[in-house]
Amino acid sequence: MRRGLPLLLTVVSLLLVAIAWVQAGGFRRHEISSAATPEEAVQAFMADVQAHNWDGAYARLDPSNDVEKAAFIRDIAGSDGSLRTYAALQSFDTWPLHADENSAVLRVRLKWSTAVGSLDDVRDLPVRRDGSIWRVVWPKPNFPAVPPQVVPVNYLRWDVVGRDNDQAWGAQGVDPPQVRITSMNAVERPDRVVVMGEIENEDTVPAYVNVNATLLRADGSVIDQEGSFDLISHTLLPKQVSPYRIDFPGIRIAAVKSVRMDARPLLVPASADPVITVASQVVEKDGLGRNVLRGDLINQSGETVNISQVLSTFYDAAGKVIWVSAGYVDQALLPQVSTPFALDVPDDIASRMKNYHVVVNHYVRTSS
Amino acid sequence: MMRTLSLRLVAFVALGWAWTASVAVTLHAPATAPAGQGFTIQTEGLGDALFYLLGPSTASKRTVHLGNDISIGSEMVSSAGRYEAILCSGEDCAHTTFEITAAEPARLSFFLHPSRVPVSAPDAIDATAFVFDRYYNPVLTPAKVEFQIVPRATATFSRIVPSERGVAWMRMASSGKEGPVRITAKLGEVSVPRVIQQVAAEACGLRVKEIPGKNGVTLETDPVRDCGGNPLPDGTIVSFTNIDSAGKTTVDAPIKRGVARAQLTVRGSGRVSVACGVVLGNELSITGSM
Amino acid sequence: MSCRFHPMRTFFLTLALAVGAGAQSLPQVNLNAEGLGPRSIEQLTGTNITRDYALAWQTMAQALEQNRSDLLKQQFTGIAQERLRRRIADQEQNGLRMEIVDRGHRVKAVFYSLDGGAMQLMDDVKMQVQIFDGSRLIESEDASHQYVVLMTPGADRWYVRYLEETPGGSR
Repeated sequence: MRRGLPLLLTVVSLLLVAIAWVQAGGFRRHEISSAATPEEAVQAFMADVQAHNWDGAYARLDPSNDVEKAAFIRDIAGSDGSLRTYAALQSFDTWPLHADENSAVLRVRLKWSTAVGSLDDVRDLPVRRDGSIWRVVWPKPNFPAVPPQVVPVNYLRWDVVGRDNDQAWGAQGVDPPQVRITSMNAVERPDRVVVMGEIENEDTVPAYVNVNATLLRADGSVIDQEGSFDLISHTLLPKQVSPYRIDFPGIRIAAVKSVRMDARPLLVPASADPVITVASQVVEKDGLGRNVLRGDLINQSGETVNISQVLSTFYDAAGKVIWVSAGYVDQALLPQVSTPFALDVPDDIASRMKNYHVVVNHYVRTSS
Repeated sequence: MMRTLSLRLVAFVALGWAWTASVAVTLHAPATAPAGQGFTIQTEGLGDALFYLLGPSTASKRTVHLGNDISIGSEMVSSAGRYEAILCSGEDCAHTTFEITAAEPARLSFFLHPSRVPVSAPDAIDATAFVFDRYYNPVLTPAKVEFQIVPRATATFSRIVPSERGVAWMRMASSGKEGPVRITAKLGEVSVPRVIQQVAAEACGLRVKEIPGKNGVTLETDPVRDCGGNPLPDGTIVSFTNIDSAGKTTVDAPIKRGVARAQLTVRGSGRVSVACGVVLGNELSITGSM
Repeated sequence: MSCRFHPMRTFFLTLALAVGAGAQSLPQVNLNAEGLGPRSIEQLTGTNITRDYALAWQTMAQALEQNRSDLLKQQFTGIAQERLRRRIADQEQNGLRMEIVDRGHRVKAVFYSLDGGAMQLMDDVKMQVQIFDGSRLIESEDASHQYVVLMTPGADRWYVRYLEETPGGSR
């Protein structure tokens, strides 16, 4: 009896610890850390990336590609203040493409979470058997070499001298910029009503714009009011045109009688630099069979653009705006260097669209 | 005799009271007076009383001696509007109202819009002047406001507009030449100038050409002007689009020194188009590297 | 810049606004914008002007009764605010206060500037005004008064810029 009770307590404690271990994912972690199969190797590698365990992740790489650790970390974690440097790997899915006794290729879909939403990345990762474990063959990063040079900046810049608030009513002021909503189209999507179109800065000074829309019932009462948020290029230089898209989740278009639009422009300082070329734009299928609009961004200035956002307007044969897609590029745009981007295009839009126009928003981190 | 004396005394006191009661508190003020000019209010009655003056920016109270004139200082009636003067002696209060009208026009609040106006736009410029006196009272009586217009390239001219309820306004078309336009609102000695900018209208006859060069293809527009020949200002965005075998390439380039320029890589033969705002230019066939 | 998807007709049917706001309802304001020019009034603007003018009167009555000039900046600006501040300062110094019982406004919009930056109104208001010196009522009047008003738009509301009583009211 005296020995029985301590023994019983020990067994129960061990049992409880084991249950806790299993519930905390102990089995899965064991599988992940084992790398005994190609899937396990990739999953273990991704788990290390997710945990920012760069040493662990680097240790799982196949040494045959001779990837330097610093280059590997720069490739996976981002650099130059890009959006990737502020991102965290939220989840990943893997599935095999093909495999043999000593090598395999797995497709990995990575979901990164950032302050501006989630980013998807799809990669095909080769893995190679090394003895009893499998290792990931990480492609050697090929970072563009930006040649040292002097790039003169002589594009126009606008500064704003505001009015003194103490001045009497009627003192000379500067009017806000003149902008015009050139098109508006309200459509129903599976789970929302979407109002989209284009807005032009008709003025000769830069404008910071927001577009708001109010959905009204037949009796004039308000159903909902929303803004374009970041589905617009906020800073418009003179004669620049931006798409906008305003989503109303959970609303059916049958309930909407009319839409009241409101564009609020502000006079802001701005620069015409940098100029960003959007090259080689093409709509095609990606590795997952999704329609994407791909292209390359080329920063023609001498300053790194830390975070860029690509917006695309899709038009039907009649020139009507039928969709607006937007996405952020997780790499910084280095001067004079081409950086790829890809935007999702809904299947029904891809089949109906006849033309598209891409604009680029840019954010440059200023040094403090 | 004592009885007669008492009766006379009582009658005398009663008469005294009756007489006092018949001298009621009254005050007389002018019906109107201009703002900022002091005046007096006559009073009637006996003894002291409390005098109240209530107006748009005033609520004063002081003790006055009935029968004397009450002096109303200029600073007490600088705001135009309806005033009420109240005089209270014991339980007896009297009141009167008077109106203070605006003084001579001495200020103009002048609004000229818009700050930047496209050339040759009908009724695009609007000028509104609000007439006030020196105390910022709106001058509601009609006054003739002169709008003197000094365009950049044409002769000065004027328009005289009578104000209505203190407001005078006019509108006019912008002229055909870009540049500053000075408009001055005048009323008597008061003169308020404003300047707006006439700017080029939409691009007209937008043309792009290829500039031969070693690196890629350089595209350049002709000097970008509106239909009146006014150059579009530097910084205005021109969009270049090229469609070739590699896909579509677009560049939004600002005008610099009157022209917009872009450098593109063209694979094979390409078709280039150019746009400025909603205005489309010509299309060009070009050949790049294979 | 607003897009007018509901332009007002030139003849604007009177817009009555009597809103119950908790324990205190807004004064009733009937706005007539027939013949308003040079700019025509949008429906939303008409609603907002009516609401903000009613709020201005409610605020002014409260401020004059409680001698609280801090309330004025919600609905008043420029000359109107400055004058009411001085009036309230005088009232407070002399122990006076003013009570207004607002019986309703018939407002005609007579000028709306082309740039939308100013609207002039003529207001025929029926109200009872009582003046108190401490607790003593020194004056009581129940009559119509006429005002000329200028309102200018702010960030999210219209403000009263000047409010001047003109002869023409009747007893």
